[in-house]
Amino acid sequence: MKTVFVDPLQCIGCRQCMFACAVEHSRSKEPFLAIFEDPPPKPRIHVEIGPYQGISFPNKCRHCSPAPCQQVCPTGAISRDGEIVLIDIDKCIACAMCAMVCPFDTITFHTQANAAPPRVVATKCDGCIDRVRHGMEPACVEACKVGALVYGELNDIIKEGRSRQAILAANASAGEAAREKDPLEDWRAWGKEVAQVVGGV
Amino acid sequence: MNERQSINQDAQTMLRRAHMEGIDTVWERLAAQQPQCGYCLMGVSCRNCSMGPCRVDPFGEGPQKGVCGADADTIVARNLGRTIAAGAAAHSDHGRDILEVFLETAKGETSGYEIKDEAKLRALAATFGLEDGNRPIAEVATDLAEAMLEDYGSRKDQVGFVEIAPEVRRTLWDNLGITPRGIDRETVEMMHRTHMGVDNDYVNILLHGLRTSLSDGWGGSMIATELSDVMFGTPQPIMSTVNLGTLKADSVNIALHGHNPLLSDVIVQAAKDPELIALAEAMGAAGINLVGLCCTGNELLMRKGVPMAGNHLIQELVIMTGALEAMVVDYQCIMPSVTDVAKCFHTRVISTADKAKFPGATHISFDPHRGLEIGKQIIRTAIEAYAERVPERVLIPGEPVPMMAGFSVEAILGALGGTPEPLVEAIKAGQIRGAVGVVGCNNPKIPQDKGHVTLTQRLIENDILVVVTGCAAVANGKAGHMVPEAADLAGTGLGAVCRALGIPPVLHMGSCVDNSRILVLAAALANYLGVDISDLPLAGAAPEWYSEKAVSIGTYVVASGIYTVLGVQPPIFGSEHVVNLLAEGLEGVVGATFGIEPDPEKAAVMIRRHIEKKRRALGLPFIDPETIDVPAAVGAGA
Repeated sequence: MKTVFVDPLQCIGCRQCMFACAVEHSRSKEPFLAIFEDPPPKPRIHVEIGPYQGISFPNKCRHCSPAPCQQVCPTGAISRDGEIVLIDIDKCIACAMCAMVCPFDTITFHTQANAAPPRVVATKCDGCIDRVRHGMEPACVEACKVGALVYGELNDIIKEGRSRQAILAANASAGEAAREKDPLEDWRAWGKEVAQVVGGV
Repeated sequence: MNERQSINQDAQTMLRRAHMEGIDTVWERLAAQQPQCGYCLMGVSCRNCSMGPCRVDPFGEGPQKGVCGADADTIVARNLGRTIAAGAAAHSDHGRDILEVFLETAKGETSGYEIKDEAKLRALAATFGLEDGNRPIAEVATDLAEAMLEDYGSRKDQVGFVEIAPEVRRTLWDNLGITPRGIDRETVEMMHRTHMGVDNDYVNILLHGLRTSLSDGWGGSMIATELSDVMFGTPQPIMSTVNLGTLKADSVNIALHGHNPLLSDVIVQAAKDPELIALAEAMGAAGINLVGLCCTGNELLMRKGVPMAGNHLIQELVIMTGALEAMVVDYQCIMPSVTDVAKCFHTRVISTADKAKFPGATHISFDPHRGLEIGKQIIRTAIEAYAERVPERVLIPGEPVPMMAGFSVEAILGALGGTPEPLVEAIKAGQIRGAVGVVGCNNPKIPQDKGHVTLTQRLIENDILVVVTGCAAVANGKAGHMVPEAADLAGTGLGAVCRALGIPPVLHMGSCVDNSRILVLAAALANYLGVDISDLPLAGAAPEWYSEKAVSIGTYVVASGIYTVLGVQPPIFGSEHVVNLLAEGLEGVVGATFGIEPDPEKAAVMIRRHIEKKRRALGLPFIDPETIDVPAAVGAGA
C-alpha cells in the first residue's frame, strides 16, 4: 500500500506543497498560467500552524479504508479506486456530510471548473492519481524539499523508521543520546520561549 | 538528454563526461530545485522586514496581504525595484572600480595601465563640459575622473552622459521625474523606498525603478565602458576564435572569467613575459594560452583578440576538459560551484577581487599599483599547476570556430565611413528593416544558446541587423554567425550590405556593461534623424537572461524607448497590474514595453512585427505586421 507519509517534525511551513498541489489541479498545470485561471485552482493539502513557531503540519486526505466520507455520502459520489478515495464532482451535492465525518478535516468546498455546471463542490486530495500512474510522485511530495512528505510503500517507510530506532537503541546502550538530534531543536526552543512570552501556549 | 541542456557539441561532450564521472553541474542543481518556490516565481513573497516573511496566495484562498498590509502589487513592485537596484549596483560598482584606477593612472600611480585612447578621452571630457584647451592629457583625465566621481554622488541634477540622449527623450525623462541624478543615489533611494512603510504605490515604485536602471545604463555601465576604452583601447574589428576548442592540449591554459578587465588586461601583458614563457617551456608546455569566459572574456576578445572559451554555462564544463591549469576570476556570474568542480581536476581557481572571495580558491589580491607584478604571480601559479595535469584526462572537444569581434560604436561608424548615413539609408530603403540588440545571459531553464542562436538566425534572415553583447555574443560566435561569410545566412538586403562593408550580419558590441554602447548608437541614430529613440525600428531581446543585472539592462533599454522581449519569465506574475503596466502601460509612458516569450521563433515574430510598425509610423516602406507569422515548417515541427 503506497501512501504519502507525513513527518511533521520535518515541516518548515514553506507551503510549497500547497502551491504545487494547486498547480497540479489547475487546467494548464503551468504556474504562470494557473494563477490567472477562473475559478482559480485550489490546493488539497493545507499546512496548518502548530502551537508555536517551528511546528506546522501538512494535512491532507489519508485515503482511509474504510473511508468514513465514502460511507456517509448520500449520493454515492465518493468511491475507491485501489488505494485512492475519489470524489465524483458531478454527483456531489455539496451537503458537507463527508467533511463532517472526516477524522482529519481535509475536505474543503470550492468552485471547480470541471464540475458541470461549474459550482462549489467537495474538494480533496485525489492522490495525484494521474501523476502516480505515469510513475511520478504526487506533486506535494515532489515540492517538499525537507522530507516532511515522503511517498512510498507504507511498510517500507515505517521500516526505515524502525531501522533508525535500532541505531538509537544501540547508541542508548552505549550511553549516547537515546533520541535523534532534531536539527531544528534550537529553532523550536526559541519558538516555545516566544510563545510563553506572549502567553500563547 | 544533453540536447536539452545545450545546443553545442563542446558542451554536450563535457556533459557526457560529467555524467560518467558523477560531477554535478548547474543542470543537476536546477533539477534538484524543481519545483521552484511558486510564491517567489510569482514575486509575491517578501522578506523585507521582520514582521514577515510574508507571501500572498495567488490562488486566492490564503492571505492576500502581508503583515504590513502590502498587497501583491506592492510586494511585486518592491521586489522588482530591489532587483533592478542590485543589477544597477553591480554594473555601477564595476564602473567605479574602473574609474578609481583611471584616476590613479591619470596621476601616474599605477603599474601596467596607461591612457591608450587620448582622442576618446578628450571627446568624453567635452561631453562632460570640461574645457579641453589642449591641456596636458593627465590634467584632462584627472578632471574627467573627478567629474565622474561626482556622478556617483548626490550633488548633481543629472549624470553626465544623459547629455548625449536625444533632447526629446531627456525632456520625457524630466517630465516623468526619472532623469537619473546620481548613480549611487538612485540605488540607495530604491532601497529606501522599498523599506516597509515608504513607497507603497506600485506605479511610483516602478517609475523609480526606471530611474534606477537609467543610472546604470547612462551612468555606471557607460562609465565602465567608456573608461575601459580610454585605458585599454577602443575596440576595432578583430578576428579570433570561440568554443572549448580554444584550449590547447600542449599549453598552459588559463581562463579569465568574470567581468572587469582591470586585472585580466595586465594578465595578457604578463603572459608575454619571456621569463614566464621560458618557465612554461621548462615545464614541458609549448606556451601559455589565455582564453576568456563570460564578459571578462568579451572585454579581452574585442580589444586583444583573446580566444573565447565560452559563456556562462560553460564555466563548469571548461574545467572538465582536464586541460585548464587556472581559472582566474574577478567578479559577477562566477558560480560558487567552480571550486567544487575544480577539486575533481588539477585546476586552480584564483580569486582576485577582495570583494569576491570563493571558498576553495586561492586568493591573490588585485592591487593596481602592482598590477603587472600580480599578473605575473598569477601566471606563475598557473604554470606550476601544469605539473599536476593528468595527460590521460585531457579531453578538448572539437575545433574552435572563427569569429569577428570588436564593433564599438566608433568601429561601426568607421566601417560606415565615419557617419551613420549609409546605415540610415539602408534602413530607409528597406534593405535593412531595423536593428535588434540580442543580449543577456545563459539560463539552464533554456537549452544553452538555443534562444540566442534561433532568434538571431530568424532576425538576420529577415534583414534585421543584430548587435550582440555578453553571453548572447559568445553564443552567436559559436554558431558561426559572426564572420563576414555569415552574410550568406542573412536575407538578401542585409547580406548585400554586409558584403559591401565586409562585416558580419551579427556585430559583437562587447560585454554586458557594453550594452551602454547600444544606447550610444541608438542615440546617435535618433539624433542624426532628429527623432526620439522610441521612433526608430529597433528592439532588444534577452532570450536566456538570468541575472539581476539583466533586469536592470532590460529596464534601461525600455526606459530609453526600445521594446524588449524577455525569454524567461520575470517574477512579476503575482500582480496582474504590474504585468499590465510593463507589457502595455509603459507604451504611453516611455514609448516602449516589455514582451515575454520563451519560444525564440515566436519572439522573432513579435520583434519583426514591432519593427514593421515602427517603419510604418516613420513613413518608410513596411510589411503589414499582421502578415508576419511563425514559418509554417517551424510551426508544424514545434
